Amino acid sequence: MKRSPARFLLLALLSLAPSAHADPDDYVATPAVEYGEREIELRLGTATATEGQRHSAASLAFGYGVTPWWATEVYGKWNRSDATRFDAFEWENRFQLSEPGQYFADFGLLVELERPRDRAEGYELRLGPLMQKDFGPVQANVNVLIERHYRADAPEATELGYQWQLKYRWRPAFEFGAQGFGEVGPWNDWAPAHEQAHVLGPAIFGKVGLGGRQVVRYDAALLFRVSSAAPARTLRAQVEYEF
Amino acid sequence: MITRLVLIACLVAAGGALAADEPEFALTIRGHRFVPAEIRIPANTKVKLVVQNEDAAPEEFDSHALNREKVIPGASKATIFIGPLAPGRYPFMGEFNASTAQGAVVAQ
Repeated sequence: MKRSPARFLLLALLSLAPSAHADPDDYVATPAVEYGEREIELRLGTATATEGQRHSAASLAFGYGVTPWWATEVYGKWNRSDATRFDAFEWENRFQLSEPGQYFADFGLLVELERPRDRAEGYELRLGPLMQKDFGPVQANVNVLIERHYRADAPEATELGYQWQLKYRWRPAFEFGAQGFGEVGPWNDWAPAHEQAHVLGPAIFGKVGLGGRQVVRYDAALLFRVSSAAPARTLRAQVEYEF
Repeated sequence: MITRLVLIACLVAAGGALAADEPEFALTIRGHRFVPAEIRIPANTKVKLVVQNEDAAPEEFDSHALNREKVIPGASKATIFIGPLAPGRYPFMGEFNASTAQGAVVAQ
């Protein structure tokens, strides 16, 4: 497929910027799977971009706990910079590798395959281990994820990112803590610190039972940049209806 | 990358092989209730709850205090690891039948 030199240069530059891949509605995945659970999920996020332009994203998904160790979810993703547009389909799979509490930490695996609307971006694969550990009433999660585009017009490195959260489990309907997200660039040749994207900030979480199998979960965070390549502020939120 | 993931999976599996056997406690779901409704376990010790769901319908073992949520299909069994816990009372419930399925783990 032929592309103009300007388009090729733009894609190449985007591929060098770690923050180019961060969706403001990204969330912290957890390793536990709920067998038989169906869910409808809405994610929203908006970020003040480094160039001053606001970038927003939204995702709507349907998920299902297929087995006690495998949950799958299909997303439609939209984004808005100058105009709102459909961005991609995504197929997310979480695999629970250990029973909660069985070992010193709980382990899972995330495998996501995204098909962007812009076919020049090819396919995006993101995968990596999910880890969770309880320290009394505090739950800690750390995920290390690698991301790579396949069949993209422009060559692109395999990039390394991470997610983390700390959650004080105060009440089922209201828990609080912090979340952070970051990308360091190519997994085997990290970008200079000023080109890496790191954000962190306060977060709230909760779960409200509606009776029977019906539950609403939410979490939201206000994230601030801790590196110059990251958006100054990101507001993200996620609501799940489980049934 | 794949090699590293396989290595992690091997470490998890090895951890399982090396893990000490935890004391087991049996819990039954019958008629949308937990039997017994209260389980006493040793404090500061990791234990294994073996939950047998005798009902035809699935139930979800849910405990905010224990940070555990586990769906147990009808007529089947599941294992839930809890602890080590400080002495105290830790309530749990069956989320699908919360009006009747109530219980507690008492660590002492």
